[in-house]
Amino acid sequence: MEYWSLNPTSLKVMQQKRNLSQIHTNKTLLNGQLNTPKWWAPTVLILGIAVVIGLSAIGVMVNKGLGVTGLSRPVYWGLFITTFVFWVGISHAGIMISAILRLTQAEWRRPVTRAAELLTVFSLLTALAFPLIHAGRPWRIIYYIIPYDFARGIYPNIRSPLIWDPVAIGTYLTGSTLFLYIALIPDLGNLRDRTTGWQNAFYTILALGWRGNPRQWKMQTVGGILLSALMLPIFVSVHSIVSWDFAIIPSVEGWHSTIFAPYFVIGAVHSGVSAVVTMMALMRWLWKWDDFIRPEHFDALARLLIVVATAWLGFTFLELLFAVYGLDAPELALREMQLFQWPWNFLFIIFMLTAYIIPVTMWLFKKVRTNIALMFWTSILVNIGMWLERFMIIVPGLARKQPFVFTWEAYRPSGLEWLILVWSFAWVTFLMLLFSRFFPLVPLFEQKESQVFTDDVKIGRASVPAIIREID
Amino acid sequence: MTTNKTGKQNWGMVVDVDKCTGCQACVLACQSENNVPINTQERFERGRAISWIRVERYWEGNYPDVKARFIPIMCQHCENAPCEPVCPVYATYHNSEGLNVQVYNRCVGTRYCANGCPFTVRFFNYWEPVWPESFRNHLNPDVTVRSRGIMEKCSFCVQRIRRGVRTAKKENRDLIDGEIQTACSQACPTSALVFGDLNDNNSAVSKMKHDERTYKLLPHLNLDQNVVYLAKVDPEKKIESHSVESGSHD
Amino acid sequence: MIKNPTVEMTDEKHLPQANVPFDQIAKDLVRTTTHGGKTIRRVSIILGVLSIVGIVALIVKLITQRDDSTQWGYVAALVSFLLTVGGGAPMVAIAPVLAKANWVRPITRISAIFSLTGIATLIMTIPLLVVLPPLVVDGTRRRSIWFEGPNFSPHVWDYIGILGLIITGLALFYTAAIPDFAVMRDHTTGWRKRVGRILSRGWIGSNSQWRTLRMRIGMFGTFYFLILIFVHFLFSSDFAMGIVPGWRDAIFPMYHSITSLQGGLAAVIASLWFIRRYFKLEKYIHIDQFWSLSRLLFATTLLWIYFFYSAFIVFWYGRGGADKAWIDLLVRGSKEGIGPMGWVFIFAGIFIFIAPWWWLIWNSVRRSINGPIIAASLILIGIMLDRVRIFVTAWSVPTEHIHDKYLMIIPQTSLPSGLDIMIIIGGICIGLLPILVISRVIPVVSIWEMQQFNLLSKPVKYMKTHGVLVAKPD
Repeated sequence: MEYWSLNPTSLKVMQQKRNLSQIHTNKTLLNGQLNTPKWWAPTVLILGIAVVIGLSAIGVMVNKGLGVTGLSRPVYWGLFITTFVFWVGISHAGIMISAILRLTQAEWRRPVTRAAELLTVFSLLTALAFPLIHAGRPWRIIYYIIPYDFARGIYPNIRSPLIWDPVAIGTYLTGSTLFLYIALIPDLGNLRDRTTGWQNAFYTILALGWRGNPRQWKMQTVGGILLSALMLPIFVSVHSIVSWDFAIIPSVEGWHSTIFAPYFVIGAVHSGVSAVVTMMALMRWLWKWDDFIRPEHFDALARLLIVVATAWLGFTFLELLFAVYGLDAPELALREMQLFQWPWNFLFIIFMLTAYIIPVTMWLFKKVRTNIALMFWTSILVNIGMWLERFMIIVPGLARKQPFVFTWEAYRPSGLEWLILVWSFAWVTFLMLLFSRFFPLVPLFEQKESQVFTDDVKIGRASVPAIIREID
Repeated sequence: MTTNKTGKQNWGMVVDVDKCTGCQACVLACQSENNVPINTQERFERGRAISWIRVERYWEGNYPDVKARFIPIMCQHCENAPCEPVCPVYATYHNSEGLNVQVYNRCVGTRYCANGCPFTVRFFNYWEPVWPESFRNHLNPDVTVRSRGIMEKCSFCVQRIRRGVRTAKKENRDLIDGEIQTACSQACPTSALVFGDLNDNNSAVSKMKHDERTYKLLPHLNLDQNVVYLAKVDPEKKIESHSVESGSHD
Repeated sequence: MIKNPTVEMTDEKHLPQANVPFDQIAKDLVRTTTHGGKTIRRVSIILGVLSIVGIVALIVKLITQRDDSTQWGYVAALVSFLLTVGGGAPMVAIAPVLAKANWVRPITRISAIFSLTGIATLIMTIPLLVVLPPLVVDGTRRRSIWFEGPNFSPHVWDYIGILGLIITGLALFYTAAIPDFAVMRDHTTGWRKRVGRILSRGWIGSNSQWRTLRMRIGMFGTFYFLILIFVHFLFSSDFAMGIVPGWRDAIFPMYHSITSLQGGLAAVIASLWFIRRYFKLEKYIHIDQFWSLSRLLFATTLLWIYFFYSAFIVFWYGRGGADKAWIDLLVRGSKEGIGPMGWVFIFAGIFIFIAPWWWLIWNSVRRSINGPIIAASLILIGIMLDRVRIFVTAWSVPTEHIHDKYLMIIPQTSLPSGLDIMIIIGGICIGLLPILVISRVIPVVSIWEMQQFNLLSKPVKYMKTHGVLVAKPD
């Protein structure tokens, strides 16, 4: 049997593969921890102030009551639930990138896995805040998450999707945190060896005695693969359950649709992966990781996004088509408002342009896919569109509820609600930056592994990029 | 089955749309009976007014041949209520007397039940209720004043039901039909609202329930309401029973 | 853990073949077209006879039961089954090819050949078009995805859709087969050589020819995928949802498509198992193919339950009139208790989901030759049952109820008549026959794909472990 040899010296002459020495990798990727950039402290301070302002707004709302929002009857759910769904959607980035692409052995996933998982954890934490603060009496909401009072027989109602939500999101959050941590351990060992004083103590505790011996690597890999496989059903269930919050209600037109579960999941992947693109661009610019976050990564993500976005568009089409298919007067009234009445028609056009038409048309060109600035802006467009999508599902349905036109109502979010929406973005960014001070955002070991797992082979005159797959 | 001394009632209401003149007496009566906060103009404009029963007004026909149509709508006390299974804390459930009950203490204000309710008869307290000082003593002592952040809705004047049943038990007798009245049915000048026990075959509601004009709102949702409507009689048209649905889009 | 005796874990078996010379590959694969001629002839005759019986039965049914659309459920189920399995199978190879997977190379041909089953779909659809209730029933338009479209809409467009799917499938099959026809032209004698000469259309393997070929495969593949989804959307809405009042189920077209992928995978696994065994292709079809395919099969099995449940929970929790009617008609099969179609549903669920799930969940089963075929056969039976459940119940709704808001009376479902059974068997035989015939004309494993397979992947050693280096050309 003929074997191709992997000769480290032969790698140097090849063009396509980028050879990065381990020293360079360590030095560059650990600059967040070992030499924190100058912009870090002021940025965190400004974001911190924004977070405090947002938290005060939440405080005011809890203190005064939900009257300060723009909600009414029957538009009982508005901006907060939209934003909740939005952040749960963003959280799908992590598992999509790191678990699914890990199981399908896509090599280009490597530099983005950590950032994506991080986005999952922090966006879930943020998402959880919204149903909490949007309740009338948030201080009593513990009732419904933990059945603490057995003596009086007070249990949560497990028939309610609002019970399924915290269960699913809680599981997802736990799993994602574990996933993130397991992937962090080798890098923690690395940091431990490069720090002194309290930092050293901090990393020593967290690194759990990581020495990088074969057994530890094996455990780490197996743990990662097992968690990926276990997380997949959770990944699907989380957004399905969020969608069932709406879909199971028979009395709101536009909500009671069987397609909601996969429609929400695919939409979540669309917005989540776009958020990862946004983050990658920022990381490349802020930390100057040009060697690690490469145009070809943006290219691969954009190709994936074209497929995801088109599938999502198909689901959107089915949702709309089978909504009007029944030709029920209330449903038609709702759709008429959603598509043709000011301001919804305007929002709908913006939504369609930003969520699909502009970005996907642009991504069809390789020049755009490898242009980091354009990818940054298009990915932001997608998330504007996807936020609007949720808004356009949740609010019009309630505003045009059933045939009792007497109670139809409009909804205009109050300034406080917008403030809290902005808070959520500041909060996630704040957490991210805080994290980046203590932990590397690009996994070092994945980066080094990819150096081993990719190669160029000569076939005839052509030099072709190749990957190595293990056979156990 | 007749009402017995231990009480096994199934409370229901028949609304004769034909008799309703849209006078709003029921709305007022309900408001003062159940300590519903005062609805200001601002609250109406923002869609936050609370009125457990409302009289919806629809116009039929085109000018000059316009007719006003009224329909009082309150909680329909569905046997198959969409609001009940979705409450995460069991703050609303169906009791054995056919009432859809709201437990104020348990409610955390997710407003999910209100989204589930097709009649939009569930109300959220956006603010702490306030009454002018002079009104303080007018509050009904039998009814809890709801704090902000919780849902409330028509209870079929459960305080009156409880008192009526208690009195009957104390006097060791059966309930008499019509003895227990909700505030709205009591106040209705044309007796368009009739309240009573659907389990008692001789009660007024049971008899009216079998009228040929009977219909229920939104029948396609399969809700099995305890509130039954009697269709409007139009002298020019024949009675169209059973399939009348409330609300039109003109 | 299940100990599977058929698991062959030796490295030699599992590693991709290196060092098979190009000529050897061509010789081995060309041999399959002449191999086992007698058996194949015998089987073809049996299939041919059954096909003719099926067509005769179809004609008899068309003459006798033309006016009664409620009798046509089983034929609709058969068409859906053929469309699902035969239409889905080419898709199996397209997605991995577009994703540049290497393991897919030995199966591209066999999966593309399945587009020939489209002939059966085309034949069997004709009587259905005749029987399908028109868009305007009793002077009123019925609910359909065509809304205000012309009155001939469902019939004409649906047939054009199916025709387009089959033409694209054949184009895909033929395009990818051109280099192999050239091999046939160069390596065989007699009529095979003549056919090869005509169909290879002057293929000499120049750079530009290869470029065009790759571009065409990518294009037809993408088209095929889009048309497939679209045809499933048309067929499931017009031939099932549209004729049941109140059935408004946005996910149903996707459900139909996902079972198509699942059925296609099962069919490819089954046929791969057969050709490996009877054409002696152990050298070319490895555990790797079965492993990858059964992983996908497992994934689609999970997707089946996900898509089904997404619809089910919405109806079950909603409890509205139309919601309950859906459950009564399509899941329970009757108003109270479990009706006959309820049992069909239960068995379909066991065959499509429960049994394959518990079977394929084990890696040692997935990574074997004989493990996946069991799951594949179960799934094929299950999909047929599922189609019977959907289409027989849908077609049993009498036309006079078509304008109702939702179904008040759950109709009695009929058992298959003798004619139906003959049509079903005949239809499947018409589907299989061309596959068998084409295996005489061209190898069922693509020669050029196998040659590239060997070119692009080689075993490597890194430290103490074995690996495969897979080149991924753009």
